[in-house]
Amino acid sequence: MRRQFNRLGMAVTEHDPAEAPPPGDAVDVIVMDGDSIPIKCDTAAAWRIGAPIIALIGTETPSRLKWLLDLQPASFLVKPLRSAGLYTALVVAFDAAQRRTNEAAHVERLEGRVRSRRVVFAAVLQIMRGHGLSETEAFALIRQTAMRHRTTVEQLSAEIVAVGGMPNRTTRTA
Amino acid sequence: MKKPSIPLGLVFSQSGPYAMMAGEMLKSAWMAIDEVNQSHEFDFTFAAHLRDPGGVVAAYHDACADLIRQEQVEHIVGCYTSASRKQVIPIVERTERLLWHPARYEGFESSDNVIYVGAAPNHNVVPLVRHMLDHISSDVFCIGSNYVWTWETNRVIREIVTSAGGRILAERLLELGETAVDHIVREIIDRKPPVVFNTLVGESSYAFVRALHEATTRARLTIPMLSCSLCEPELKLIGPAASVGCITSSAYFESIDRPQNRAFVARWRARHGTDSNPSVDGQSTYVCVMLLARAIRRAGTTDVAAVRRAAANHRYESPQGPVWVDPDNNHCFLTPRLARSVPGCQFEIFWEAEAPERPDPYLSNLDLATIGMRPEKSNDTMPKRANHLRVVK
Repeated sequence: MRRQFNRLGMAVTEHDPAEAPPPGDAVDVIVMDGDSIPIKCDTAAAWRIGAPIIALIGTETPSRLKWLLDLQPASFLVKPLRSAGLYTALVVAFDAAQRRTNEAAHVERLEGRVRSRRVVFAAVLQIMRGHGLSETEAFALIRQTAMRHRTTVEQLSAEIVAVGGMPNRTTRTA
Repeated sequence: MKKPSIPLGLVFSQSGPYAMMAGEMLKSAWMAIDEVNQSHEFDFTFAAHLRDPGGVVAAYHDACADLIRQEQVEHIVGCYTSASRKQVIPIVERTERLLWHPARYEGFESSDNVIYVGAAPNHNVVPLVRHMLDHISSDVFCIGSNYVWTWETNRVIREIVTSAGGRILAERLLELGETAVDHIVREIIDRKPPVVFNTLVGESSYAFVRALHEATTRARLTIPMLSCSLCEPELKLIGPAASVGCITSSAYFESIDRPQNRAFVARWRARHGTDSNPSVDGQSTYVCVMLLARAIRRAGTTDVAAVRRAAANHRYESPQGPVWVDPDNNHCFLTPRLARSVPGCQFEIFWEAEAPERPDPYLSNLDLATIGMRPEKSNDTMPKRANHLRVVK
C-alpha cells in the first residue's frame, strides 16, 4: 500500500487504531484495516475526524459490515489487496467526501431558508397591507427589490420586518 | 503392482493457542489417509505433506504456497480458524486448487475453491436457539470470546431471540485465552438469568464452565448452559463434575448410534487408546479426506474442476450420517443434533433432525416468523413455554 501511495505522490503515516488520531487537517484520507479492530470497541469511531475513510475488509460477515457502516467510509477495499483498486478507492473516496461536504452545505442553506419562512411571510403581509397589493404582487415586489439590492429575499424580509416597511436604501453590494 | 500416489497437503498448527483442536484434526486426517491407502476400494494412495504454521495466521499463506509449489498438491485439507482460512483462500483461488475445510465456522462465505465440510450456522446455532426458545426461555445471558465466531453467533442469537419477543440480558466478551471469569460468574449468580449461552473457546471456556458450576452449586441454583462448540475431549479438560449438563449443538457426537460411527469409534480407540475420544472437528477432518478420496475415484483424476463436479451431490455414509456437498455453495448437507453432556465425559443426544439439512451459509432461508411457533407435538415431554410472536409488517 505504501508503495502504491508513494507512486501516487502521497505521503503515508502509520498509526495504531487504539491511539488518538492526528489533528483533522493533518491528513487527506485515512485507510483503516477493519480486521485489526475488534467490533465491540469505540476506537474506530474516534478516527471519524473529517478526512474520508477507506476501510479494508477481510471478513464479510454481518457484524463486521455493520461496524463498517457505523464508520461511514467513503470507500472500501476487499482484502487481499492487489496493486489494482487502490487508486479507484481513493478517487471514489475523495469524490464521496466532496459530495458529502457539498450536500451538507446545501442542506444548511435550505434549513436556513426554512427557518426564514416566517420572516418572509411576515414581510409579505407587511407589504400587502402597506401597498394594498395581493400576496403574489407583494412577493414579486420583495423578490425584485432583493435582486436589485443584490441581497436575498430572506435578508430583505428581515429588514422589512425590522423597519415596518420597504427600507429606503441606495444600491448595496452583498 | 504399486498404486499411483497422489500428493495431499495438510495444514494444521501443532503449537499455538488452538494446537489441541488442530492436533485432534491432524490425528483424524492421518487415520483417514491410512485407511484410504490400505483399502482395496481405491486404486491410488495419498502421499501426505504436512505443514505446521504454529498458530501464526500470517504463516498459513506461505505454508500453502509451499505445498502448491514444492509438493505440487492440488488438494489441501486443513485450517481451523476463519482467520487462517482467509489467508489461504486467495492462493487457492489464484492457483485453482481446492481447500477441504473441516471446521464449523460462522458462515457468510462461499469460495469455489473451498469445500466446507464443517457445520454452517443453520446446522448448529439455529437449532440450539430454537430449542432454547421452545423449552427453556427467551431471555438469555450471552458470554463469548472477543472474535469473529462469537460476534456472528451472537448476532444470529440476537436476531432470532428478539424476533420471538425475547431479550439478550447481557453480552459479555473475554479476550481469547483470558481465564479471569469471576466477575462474569458473579454477575450471573446475582442476576440469575434463565439460561446462559456460552460461545467462549479454549481455556476461557473451560475456566468459565468450572467456575459457573462451582458458583451455582454453592448458591443452589440451576442455570442451563448452552454451547455450539463443546466436544468430548474438552469435557475431559473441564473435569468430571463441572462438565455435566451442558446442552450442546453439533453435527457429530461420539455417542451417535450408527454402525458407521460405532466402527469409527472402535478404530479410533484401537489407534489412540481406549481413553481417547474422537471430536466433532476431528471426525469432520476424517470426512474431508474420505469425500476427497471418493471424488477422485469418481472423477478418475485429481483435476480440481473434475473433482469438484464429482463431489457434488455424491452421498457418503460417514460416521456422523449421510454427508454430501451442495454444489450451489460448496458446503455440506449435515444432520443437526442436540445433546446434553452426561457423566463419563460423553453426550446424550436428545434431538436429531429427521434428515440431513441443506447448508445455508448466508442464512438466506432463515424464516424468523416460524421460530418459536412450532406446532405442539403429542410426544413432547418437556413443558412448553408460551410462544411470543412478533407482527412483521
